[in-house]
Amino acid sequence: MADARVERLAGVLVDYSTGVREGDLVCIDTAPAAKPLVEAVWRRVLAAGGHPHLRIELDGAAEILLAEASDAQLDWVSPLREAEIERADVRIAVEADANTRGHTGVDPARQARHARAREPLRRRYFERANAGELRSVVTLFPTDAAAQDADRSLAEYEDFVYHAGLLDHEDPVAEWRALEERYRRLAAALGERREIRVVGEGTDLTLGVGGRTWIPCAGRENFPDGELFTGPVETEVEGVVRFTYPASFAGRRVSGVELEFRGGEAVRAAAEQGEAFLREMLAMDDGARHAGEFSFGLNDAVTEFTGHTLFDEKIGGTVHLALGASYPESGGTVQSALHWDLVCDLRSGSEVYADGELVYRDGRFVDGLS
Amino acid sequence: MKDPRVERLAALIAGYSLGLREGQVVRIDALDVAAPLALELYRAALRAGAHPYTSIGVPALLETLLADGSDEQLTYVSPLRWEEIERLDALATIWSEVNTRSLSRVDPERHAAYIAAQRKLSNRRWERISSGEMTWCGTLFPTNAHAQEAEMSLEEYEDFVFAACHVHEPDAEGHWRGVSSALEARASELGAVRELRVVGPDTDLRVGVEGRSWLAADGRFNMPDGEVFTTPVETETEGVIRYTFPALYHGREVEDVRLRFEEGRVVDAEAARGDDYLQSLLAMDAGARVLGEVAFGLNYEIDRFTRNILFDEKIGGTMHFALGSGFQQTGGKNTSGLHWDMICDLRDEGEVYADGELVWKDGRFLAEPVPAVAESGVGG
Repeated sequence: MADARVERLAGVLVDYSTGVREGDLVCIDTAPAAKPLVEAVWRRVLAAGGHPHLRIELDGAAEILLAEASDAQLDWVSPLREAEIERADVRIAVEADANTRGHTGVDPARQARHARAREPLRRRYFERANAGELRSVVTLFPTDAAAQDADRSLAEYEDFVYHAGLLDHEDPVAEWRALEERYRRLAAALGERREIRVVGEGTDLTLGVGGRTWIPCAGRENFPDGELFTGPVETEVEGVVRFTYPASFAGRRVSGVELEFRGGEAVRAAAEQGEAFLREMLAMDDGARHAGEFSFGLNDAVTEFTGHTLFDEKIGGTVHLALGASYPESGGTVQSALHWDLVCDLRSGSEVYADGELVYRDGRFVDGLS
Repeated sequence: MKDPRVERLAALIAGYSLGLREGQVVRIDALDVAAPLALELYRAALRAGAHPYTSIGVPALLETLLADGSDEQLTYVSPLRWEEIERLDALATIWSEVNTRSLSRVDPERHAAYIAAQRKLSNRRWERISSGEMTWCGTLFPTNAHAQEAEMSLEEYEDFVFAACHVHEPDAEGHWRGVSSALEARASELGAVRELRVVGPDTDLRVGVEGRSWLAADGRFNMPDGEVFTTPVETETEGVIRYTFPALYHGREVEDVRLRFEEGRVVDAEAARGDDYLQSLLAMDAGARVLGEVAFGLNYEIDRFTRNILFDEKIGGTMHFALGSGFQQTGGKNTSGLHWDMICDLRDEGEVYADGELVWKDGRFLAEPVPAVAESGVGG
């Protein structure tokens, strides 16, 4: 039987997240395993009067490219990808991996080279998104591979994913609209502060945020969602941070990451596992050593770490910091081919101060802020 | 374990059929069930220095568009598709259905409107292919759906498909180069013929081919391949023909078709089953009653009818006569929305005369000692 939650997810993505209108060219960008969601999204886009355009690549092709391609082939950027990014009114990207660890055997230097080559695409994509010319959302369709990463059965993982998206509610859009209101109030309250200090186990980090904008995220660009982020002042990140959870980037996992910042730059980096890869990524380009994003996770329907950034960074009661590119709409100016989110659990024994005032304790904003 | 035949097929298509070169942009169209072949082709394209990408379809989407799309959505052609057609240097189409009948019940008028809109795109693609700006090859990856259509197990069908492509043995490319020269020689010989007369059970048909050029289908555009074909002179087809195999058009079958031609046009047509459909196709337009193609099927590794035109029209020992549009590059002038290949088995009883001389009997050309390449399968 068709899963009603898949239909609701399609409805949220098309009607709420990207607001597809008549005549919109809608790129659906995914992998073969997302077929049930693709079919539902396709119907919704047609119902909204849009023109769906499908782009599905095979699992495994990227691994072959990274393993066997010449440097020229690694550096090549398809003019058709450029055309898609130039012409699309809407992009719905659905992650649906058949194997989340397929890149493990790939030379990280080649991976970084390939990522660098695609950086202009990424920049142009954000440029059009920020100019309001392209509405775009990223989501995940539950597969066995993602379930396996989360140490769950597929059925359990589906429950987790759809619960996180509030899709077990009859009218998930109404739920997300209410959350969006709440996040906006918080953003307004934080927008007046100049400095954030995060104190927790192994962590004492101060970030300058004066003049920067806090962006409430309630399911427009990520789904599921639930966070409030900004781009710290590039020269004003000081102190140490220890990340609670392992962090995956481009199919590789690094755990026990500890970073020390001086004058906005990561000057020391250590990891219990995957330290070489961490260093390789930090050396990717000039921006990779900067904290392009600082964010509060606010989704209380996500309580457990599952090894996937889309969910982990939204866990209610966590904060995360991204190494690399910032989002220009926050006022951040870091440019990098890297954007790697690292998550810190603050649900016990932690405090956050804004301009010296306690605003957050043990994973919750204090009363009066929200 | 990897099937070596899949790797050979990929190498054959990348090297021989598409002739991939450094820097070329290559799209590989398939469904995800064809991943083993699509990925090997991707790898082979990378090795050639090209820039491949896969484009994976979801069959149910077309069904939804046909059922739910507005008229505007139904006939919309994305600017991205236009851009793509202009930019591609090579395209590989891997047919790999999971259900060969999924469009059996769609509204035929809406389907026709969709196809007509897409035709602008496919016309432009053919233009670029014909002028040599891009290469194209259509092939098939065996699935249960295709096996079911052919009334075989998947394993039997795999053996059938891979043998037809001659990738069951090493050096498939060498084989096809041999086939190519044999077919070219045959085509050039047929180019001197003014009239063919085909005699078989309930069949005695004269087809004028004077001044037309014959082309060798040698594995560049299709894999498998193996035929020589031309477009008959539009006003000179005379006599009767009875088609042995069911004639399929858009998945619908018409059985035991008999046609009578006068001065190039069908004047009488009947079928034991599907007669209404036959009559409606003949009435499609003025060109639908005229032959657009006559061809000899010469791939003797294809030895049975499997309800798939990619294979059926090449069955060694058959001929096919298509109603509808002809091929300009052979000198053909007939135009029609129809191009319906119908196949006549001449293997048991059948004779073909070229300008009065017997040249073909019981499924084989008589003249020429069989060239060395033909011993491994393809007569020429």
